[in-house]
Parts: sequence; structure tokens; C-alpha cells
Amino acid sequence: MIDKMTCIQCPAGCELEVGEADGRLEIRGNECEKGVEFAQNEIRDPRRNLATSVPVKGNATRMVSVRLSGPVPRDRIFPILDAISGLRPEPPVRRGQVLISDVLGSGVDVIATRTINE
Amino acid sequence: MNAGMLPAVEKRDVVVIGGGPAGMTAALGAKRAGAADVLLVERDRNLGGILNQCVHDGFGLFLYKKSISGPEFAERLAEDVEREGIAVQTGAMVLDLGPDRLLRLNAPDGYRLIRAGAVVLAMGCRERTRDMIEIPGMRPAGVLTAGSAQALVNLQNIRIGREAVILGSGDIGLIMARRLTFEGIKVKGVFEIMPWPGGLERNIRQCLKDFGIPLELSRTVVEIRGRERLSAVVTARVDERLMPVAGTEEIVPCDTLLLSVGLIPENELAKRAGIALSPLTGGAVVDETFMTGVEGIFSCGNVLHIHDIADWAAAEGLAAGRRAAEYVLGLRSLAETVRVSAAGYLRYALPQAVHRGARDVTVHFRVARPVRGLKVEARGVETGRRCGGRRLARAIPSEMQTILLKGPIEEDIEVGGHD
Repeated sequence: MIDKMTCIQCPAGCELEVGEADGRLEIRGNECEKGVEFAQNEIRDPRRNLATSVPVKGNATRMVSVRLSGPVPRDRIFPILDAISGLRPEPPVRRGQVLISDVLGSGVDVIATRTINE
Repeated sequence: MNAGMLPAVEKRDVVVIGGGPAGMTAALGAKRAGAADVLLVERDRNLGGILNQCVHDGFGLFLYKKSISGPEFAERLAEDVEREGIAVQTGAMVLDLGPDRLLRLNAPDGYRLIRAGAVVLAMGCRERTRDMIEIPGMRPAGVLTAGSAQALVNLQNIRIGREAVILGSGDIGLIMARRLTFEGIKVKGVFEIMPWPGGLERNIRQCLKDFGIPLELSRTVVEIRGRERLSAVVTARVDERLMPVAGTEEIVPCDTLLLSVGLIPENELAKRAGIALSPLTGGAVVDETFMTGVEGIFSCGNVLHIHDIADWAAAEGLAAGRRAAEYVLGLRSLAETVRVSAAGYLRYALPQAVHRGARDVTVHFRVARPVRGLKVEARGVETGRRCGGRRLARAIPSEMQTILLKGPIEEDIEVGGHD
């Protein structure tokens, strides 16, 4: 066996066992196909989404929550957080609005996850 | 008060108390099931409840088939509420609820009295505090619940400390371990008094293991040190009776302690209305229509029992709202109810009552401790007749499970969990 892991694709949290046979990954314990994809990625290229919140321009306590439009390699989390930390979007901000496109060349965007009017 | 000063009593078909995920869907469920006049009451300025401070993703998988953040989930539900033409009163607090479904409201435009055809309770829950778990020591600044820390960090942009310890491994604490790490705050460890984690496995993986944050089971905080500000906590291993073991103490310097030690349904209004509560769930005792022991008052979401994820609280709200509308429309079962109880490994089963003759009733349950190869069976208490069964490869206390009672249910039911 190569690894034991919990699938994080949904709340079921299947306990996966990843083994290797004839040079191919063998995955056991998954209740659905998402588990196979997750385990393969988790071994070769673990990816995560990330979420944080940043203040709007001109008001240090008025916050816009943000996340990435898709998951990125786990080791890019902190560089991307640094890139996000200086963000001060100007209201109005729409939910889903792209605040940084293709952040650090990762292929995904930083998007607002709430609406701030005025 | 002079009777002449009392406002006129307004009439509403369904009043939903609480504008979080369960309350919003309850209002939607009631409206879609035919209640003409639905009012949703929320004490905060905006709808959404705790979803607004849950900026992480993982919401909506059930309802919207994609992973979105709490604020996105809240806004989408709020838009649905608006689209359906449901009346919303924010900034209003329900002060009292009577068994006759008379609500006394403190609203921005003054005191209001509302008589509801049906009431849906969806007030959510509170976090257990330091006081409730009685940690000895000083009372410095820097000790707060994980949820308050979440609100301060995500909504108010406050830097809550530099070095943190988390007591309890509930999901909010795990999520906050990652959140604080993102904020550059060093999380020195998560200490859990039980021999198993309190939160979901997927959160252990993506919030702790990803960042090398240690999780220590069977270990708790036995002392809080610091005068103005927290300077350290003392942790100790506990024995099987959860008592600290002398000689296992360790001092962990830190300026912040987050408590993630459990949630309690917020049932003050339910108590005022005379609703019987379950000592096992902390929420109301309900039948399969989510109606409490007080006629016409329904309960759903975290005020009924603590859910693992908001999607399931929302799904429950939808069902409870629909049933509340059916009650107002006179479509209610008049059969007497039989009891549903839990046995074996199961800590509780909900609903606790079912109308005689009911079919296809989903019963929610939790196990009291982790178990592998769990066999769950529902049987009639008198005849032993089997009306539902399920096998689970494993079950843990942090994961809510369900079993379907096929029915027709004709007698008291025991839902048992065995090896």
C-alpha cells in the first residue's frame, strides 16, 4: 500500500486505500468515482481551493470574501495568499466578480464570493 | 402597559424564526407548498446567519451540486427567498413565543405582535464556552470560541493573535486552524479530550495534515495562564474517564486559545413556548413532519439537532417549511404517534415520534463512539417486525447518518446499532 487517505470531495469522507499493481494505482474504499480522481491527484498532484477575505477600498473593516475559481497545486497556496493579501476591491463588488485573473499564472481566478453594494 | 398602547395583532400563515440556511429554506418550503403569507424574521441586519462568516468552500454540494463558500450559499438562498416574494424582516428579534403561536417582536419600527398559523423555529445554535467546560486558571484576554474568532477574522479584519492553541477538534476549530495559518498565525496544536476527533475526517486532512498542525487525542487543557493576555496553556493527557493524568502536563506558550468544544441548540424561545426538548439532541422532540410537541410549531436545522454541514440543515428546513404549510392548509395526519427510540451504539434517533401508518420516514442518527461494521436495524418494539436496515462499513460520532423506515409504521420503533 502506498497511502491511506480521506477523500475530501464531499462530506461522506470515504477512507481510501491507495495501492499499486503493475505500475498502476489501485484505489479501494471509494463510494463514488470522485474518490478515484481525488486519490490519483492526491498522490501525483494534490490540489486545493483556498478562501480568505480582504477589506474593501477605503474601509479597513468592510470585508469581501474571496476564493479561487478552481483548485491549485497545494504548494501554490501561500504564494497566492500573498498575491491576494494586497487586494482592496472598490465597491460595488458582485458575487462571482473576477478580482485577479489567472493569479500567478495558475490558470485560475480570484473571485469575490459576496456582494458589497454602494 | 396600558392595553390601549399595544399594537394590533398581525396575522401570518407561516412565520419562520431565524434567517440562516435552515430558516431561509423553511420559508421557501412553506411558500412553495402553498402558504400564501410567509414571514421570515432575522435578528441580524442581513440574511445568511453564520454562513456569512464561513468564507471557506464546501457548501452547496447537495443543494447546488457545486462547491461554493458560505456567503455565496447564503446569497443564493436569499435571492431565492426574494424571488418567491417572501416577506423578510431583518433587525428584528422575537422576544417571546407562546404555545398559541403569538410572537412578540422587537422590530426596527417598534414592538409588534404576530399571530401565526404555523411557526418554524430555525434559530441555530451557540458554541459551548470556557465557562461551560470549566477550565481552571486565570481569565486573561485571548480566550475565545472558534466561531467568534471566525467572525473577527473574516468579517471584521481583526488580527486575533500570533500563536494559537485550539482546544477541541470540532469542525469550526479545524477550519479555523487552517484560516489562522493563512493569516500567518502559528497554530501550535489541536487538543481533543476524546480518543477520536470531533470533526469530519475531510477537515482533519485538509485543515490540519496539509499544514502539519498536530492533533493530539485524549489530551486537554487543564490550566490557563496569563494576567492581561494569555501567555500559555497547560495541557495534560486524560484517562478513560476523561480525568487528567498527573505527571503528563505540558506547558504550551501561546497568546490565543480557541475553543471548539461543541454546539448547543439555541432553544430559549422553544422553552418559553413550552416545547419539550430532548436531553440527547438539545433540540425539540419532533414527529416526522418536524412538528414539536406544541401544535403548529415546527423545528429544523441546528436548533433541532446539530448538523455536520449546512446543506443538510437547509434540506431539513425545506421539508419542515413544507410541513408547516401543509399544517396551515389543513393537510395534516390526524393519526396518533408512536415513539422512535435509539439503542446499542446509537446515541439518538430523530424524529422521536412518527404518525401511525406513516411510510418512508427518514430517521437521522449519530453513533456515540466510532464503530466499524455497524449493523443498523429498525424493528417494532412489540412484534419485532423489521421496517428498515442498513450496514455501514464504519460510523463515527461526527457524521450524521440516516436510515429509511419503510412502514407502514404501526407500533413503537427501536432503531438499534450493533456490531
